[in-house]
Amino acid sequence: MFKRFAFGGVAPFVAVLLCTVLGLALENYLKYVIAIALVSMLIGVALVVLVGLARCITLASGAVMAIGAYTSTLLMTRVGIPYLIGLVCAAATGALAGWLIALPGTRFRGHNLAMVTLVFQAVAIILLREAKWLTGGAEGIHVPQPVIFGWRVANDADFLLLIGLLSAVAILLLSILVRGPFGKNLQAASGNEIAAEAFGISVPAYLRAAFVISSMAVGFSGALAAPRIRILDPESFGVLPSIFMLAYPIVGGMQSVWGGLLGGGGLRILPEFLRPVADFQELFFASLVIAVVMFFPGGMVELLRRSTGRLFSRTNKQLAGEAPPLPAIIPAEPIAHVAPTMPANSSEVLLRVEGIDRHFGALHAVNAASITVPVGGIHGLIGPNGAGKTSLFNIISGFLEAEQGDIDFAGTSLLDRPARDRIALGITRTFQHVAVFGQLSCLENVIIGRGRNAVVDSIKQSFDHFVGGRAAEAAIREALAALDAVGLADQASKPASSLSLGNQRRLELARAIVSNPRLILLDEPVSGLASDEVEELRQLLSRTSAERQIAMLVVEHNIPFVAKLCRTLSVMGSGAIVAEGNPKEVITRPGVRQLYFGEQTAA
Amino acid sequence: MLVELGLVLIAGLKFGAIYALAALGLVVVHKATKTVNFAHGAFAMLGAFASFLIVVQWEWPYWTAYLLIPITIGAVAALLEFVILRPLRRADMFTVVIATVFLGIALGEAFRLTYNTELLAVPGMFAGSPFVYWGVIITQETLWVIAGALVTAVGCVIVFRYGKLGRGMRAMAASVRGAQICGYSVDQVYMVAWCLGGALAGLAGVFVAPIAGVSVELSIAVITAGFVAGVLGGFDSLKGAILGGLLLGVIESLAAAYISSAMKNCVSFFLLFFVLMWRPEGLFPEKVARRV
Repeated sequence: MFKRFAFGGVAPFVAVLLCTVLGLALENYLKYVIAIALVSMLIGVALVVLVGLARCITLASGAVMAIGAYTSTLLMTRVGIPYLIGLVCAAATGALAGWLIALPGTRFRGHNLAMVTLVFQAVAIILLREAKWLTGGAEGIHVPQPVIFGWRVANDADFLLLIGLLSAVAILLLSILVRGPFGKNLQAASGNEIAAEAFGISVPAYLRAAFVISSMAVGFSGALAAPRIRILDPESFGVLPSIFMLAYPIVGGMQSVWGGLLGGGGLRILPEFLRPVADFQELFFASLVIAVVMFFPGGMVELLRRSTGRLFSRTNKQLAGEAPPLPAIIPAEPIAHVAPTMPANSSEVLLRVEGIDRHFGALHAVNAASITVPVGGIHGLIGPNGAGKTSLFNIISGFLEAEQGDIDFAGTSLLDRPARDRIALGITRTFQHVAVFGQLSCLENVIIGRGRNAVVDSIKQSFDHFVGGRAAEAAIREALAALDAVGLADQASKPASSLSLGNQRRLELARAIVSNPRLILLDEPVSGLASDEVEELRQLLSRTSAERQIAMLVVEHNIPFVAKLCRTLSVMGSGAIVAEGNPKEVITRPGVRQLYFGEQTAA
Repeated sequence: MLVELGLVLIAGLKFGAIYALAALGLVVVHKATKTVNFAHGAFAMLGAFASFLIVVQWEWPYWTAYLLIPITIGAVAALLEFVILRPLRRADMFTVVIATVFLGIALGEAFRLTYNTELLAVPGMFAGSPFVYWGVIITQETLWVIAGALVTAVGCVIVFRYGKLGRGMRAMAASVRGAQICGYSVDQVYMVAWCLGGALAGLAGVFVAPIAGVSVELSIAVITAGFVAGVLGGFDSLKGAILGGLLLGVIESLAAAYISSAMKNCVSFFLLFFVLMWRPEGLFPEKVARRV
């Protein structure tokens, strides 16, 4: 399976090289057109990372490209640095520009970000035009012919060869990232921020990384195209070209490398055939994009996939799609997890929540609440609506700050630690409104649950996945085992959004257990489920907790479910813990019944 | 010295008043629909172009431009909302932003195709002798732009504050579901917001045409200035948009006079950068009533 997966990553690289070879056999004008189209393909793939996966709208591609082109050209002409080093420097300045845009931009999404990029674009072009002493102003500067180890790149064939080789390599690197865990985590971060944070994905860090990586490639492409353009002037990198670059991934298809290739190549070559009606070309393109957005959100890739069946494999099947029939490689037993060291009825405390306070305005939402969860035990938290359960739960899971009190988890204080740190400590969670990553397959969802999701880690893992390394193999095996444990092994390659609600809850559980946590926080795990599903899930939770020595803290409204599942129970009312103890006994206490039904204590 | 400063400030206020008008249209649409309309600059450009047609081409009286253009551009904006954005009502903000970006391009290109020139010049409404106060020269045109744009803007704030329309938009911005339950129609409110935004953009176009001329580049200039002005004001406050516009105009003018003309354009990026980084609620936040 790993051999074939690796081929999937290489295919765009091969396609670009084939384009190059094909171009070399054609006449000079077509060589020129193909060389330019290859640069656009690279830009298209770079924008798939930023626009497609991270869903950030950038209108500054032209400026970033200009920064790359001017960097390499000025270094060549003013400092006398060789072209190849100039290319590397162009990638670096491009990355710097991306980082700068991302600084204010990623704190906000949507239109604020788009607007920041537009203003950056406008200002960058004005600066390039005004700094005549450096850039030659509006008249532009002449780009010298590059010389690479004595090879003077002079004619169309030379340029095509150079651009083809370098853009193929850059596209290969990008496609490794897109198809590997980095791309999946990026999709997760843009798809569901809270769930992503809960599993250790820092959303701002990923968005910044997307900007930096994408801008690096765009800056590189600018330097790559510069000698071919011959005269650099600011206007050819203006707002209009920027916006049309945004069209590449949209028209091509935003979720895959092929989309960037098709969109970039297609939209760049098309004008050459539209020469007779060149005046209408921009209007045509703008209308085309609006039509795609309105009627074909999947772009050309989706269109081709529909017409040719499975020629282009779906991106969200990449990890699992090529897997052989699953049962064959699933180990008979769940993968090794932390060996049970404590007997199930141990009284050692794993989680101790003490005196937590939280106000919302004048509302005392959580009032000196304290609960404890023993190692391997299942503790329930119930209470009527508005009792403060969710606030307390959010404080424990790190999505809300406490004003007072302490949370101790196996000797570590959880206060002042962001939600995304919890998975490394051994705490995972599920969500009241299921929060699976819908565009990703079940297997990819569970792989994210393994929690090794720092940006640098995921980039390393992407290369490991590409070569089919041992760590990648282990990740897939562990994830499959977790899916098997919740009974979803046969769904591994399906997109998570296609599952039923009950199965999505199971998938959340698989994602929560794959990292072998010591504690799972379950937020209303059975809300919205039918009664038979409730019972199935209860058994699954009991079994999981017992087999894997995982403690659970369950917030739930379904009292019979809680009474059967939990060994200890706390009842909240008006922000405070009002009763604690054995579930079956606690729920019969008059005070608790009064809280729920308003019964008189005397009754 | 002081006279020079006075001239610079007056010039800044003149641009600022137009920025305020441009920002106001963006903020009105944003308040009701929670989305920035990236075609807003193109609407302003169309307004400026229409002003060229009316004043130069057809030689109608100047005041007809101020009357007819907001109505026409408002109607065009409402129509485009109906045709392009209504089908995207259930799509996310990402998709809507992309649609308006390319809508703006399409409008700009449509203009370029019908009138393929670099720059069209439009005369001012007033050509009379300027006023001079303590050595500071103020042309009638300048006075008209500042006063006219500001009166329109303040009128808009009042309508929004006290009119039924404004109430509907504010309700929609607070909660689409809640507003629907109270009998406001989403489609109607969105369309009216676009109409009003388009009318304000068109009017901004009429005001700016004599100063900047008519060109495709105008749309980018208007939308970036309008957005920065809106961000300075907190983007959800109409009064903030007006103050933000004036502030941006004055700061740009000061930068151009005392640093360099290139700085004039960079200032807006730095302002945007710093406000978004450190004061995203804007420089003039509306008082938030603390209710319990």
